[in-house]
Amino acid sequence: MERIKVLVVDDSRVSCAMLSNMMAKTNFEVCGMASNCADAVLKYESLRPMAVTMDMNLPDADGIECSRRIREIDPDARIVMISAMKDASLMERGREVGITSFLQKPVSPYELIDALSCIVSDDIKRNTSIRDLYIQSFSKVLRQSLFSLVGVHSEMSMERAEGSYLDIPSGIAVIVGLTGSPMGRAIVYMDTETMFAMAKAILMKEDDDKMTAEEAGDVIEEAANIIVGRCASVINDLKDVDMRISPPGTIVGKNIRIANFKISSYYIEAKTRFGKVCMNVGFAEGE
Amino acid sequence: MDAKLVNPFIDALVAVMPQMGFDVPKRTKMSVKSQTCASLGVSIIVGFTKGLRGNVVYNLSEDAAKFIASKMMMGMPVEALDEMAQSALSEMSNMLTANAATNLAAMGYTVDISTPSLTVGQDFQIKISNENYLVVDMDLGGQIMELNIAVQA
Repeated sequence: MERIKVLVVDDSRVSCAMLSNMMAKTNFEVCGMASNCADAVLKYESLRPMAVTMDMNLPDADGIECSRRIREIDPDARIVMISAMKDASLMERGREVGITSFLQKPVSPYELIDALSCIVSDDIKRNTSIRDLYIQSFSKVLRQSLFSLVGVHSEMSMERAEGSYLDIPSGIAVIVGLTGSPMGRAIVYMDTETMFAMAKAILMKEDDDKMTAEEAGDVIEEAANIIVGRCASVINDLKDVDMRISPPGTIVGKNIRIANFKISSYYIEAKTRFGKVCMNVGFAEGE
Repeated sequence: MDAKLVNPFIDALVAVMPQMGFDVPKRTKMSVKSQTCASLGVSIIVGFTKGLRGNVVYNLSEDAAKFIASKMMMGMPVEALDEMAQSALSEMSNMLTANAATNLAAMGYTVDISTPSLTVGQDFQIKISNENYLVVDMDLGGQIMELNIAVQA
């Protein structure tokens, strides 16, 4: 997923640093900062960001005037106004110059990301971009966790799941329920060979050491539990939500078919030297 | 695991199933299993968190699954367990677990539930606990629904 460029206009260096920290964990990226209106207009022209966060108080003009000048250059400019006061008259003046999103200081990471996601996704449903953020976080955590568990580098890929089923010819699938908002479930799965290779690597055993399928399954179950737990923590940091995970349910067998009904789900795949470690993350539709 | 925790799940079945046209389900057996539940063919797992953490698995034979799906779809014949039938079963487990959550709340446990994951296959096992857990067989008009309830200590 491509990162979305954001220009931060604020005369306080502290505020700039806070906003860029909030975006660091997401697919938004601060491409430039401006501390006054004149600089903001120049930087907008040269950087052409996808979105702007605009402070109300600037030394040479107010945030509304600055937004007006930016929208003179680009009538489609997408601006989130951030101010200490959020009153009706300010919002009315802001709307007149084409601002549709208003936040009040102090801004929480959740509000910021939500507001930015909203204004950059006119044609996408409001929740879609939030979910993309979730999926991207899951992918990042999967990659990092595999590295910290077994020191392996993964080639990541992800896609939206189209079919109604997840089919596993032979192997293990660890289902972890996600509760809160949105509710859903994550399934970490892999074939039998990868299960053994990964389990031995996690326990630092040699390739030819003996291990039963039950032992290997237990190791993978615990690993999946850790990975999904970390994912939920990242989401909770990112968005001010209370996502929790249920204990894992681990399926072992052949020709396993898990239904993907009434959820929008995504496949995340980590290609490693042990084999493919896959994850299917689904959230209930209509939440 | 505390045996009284199965009651909210049994009560949910007794309250919800008649609303969908079933006779009042009867408890036929209660037992203890360790760690793993062998699927009867169709297994729907729903997780829960917060005041209690655990999983419930609604375990059905393919025949029982077809019988329930057919009844839920106003008696429409269900020859094969197709997408529509499976979707009905997922919905049923969602309703049952949500109702059980309400019953648990009345006992002082606030729980949130996950979306159901319906799994089919010929021969597979689901490990839902590291310890012993409780199994209740419920008779639904001659077909058995096996409830596997695991709650973490």
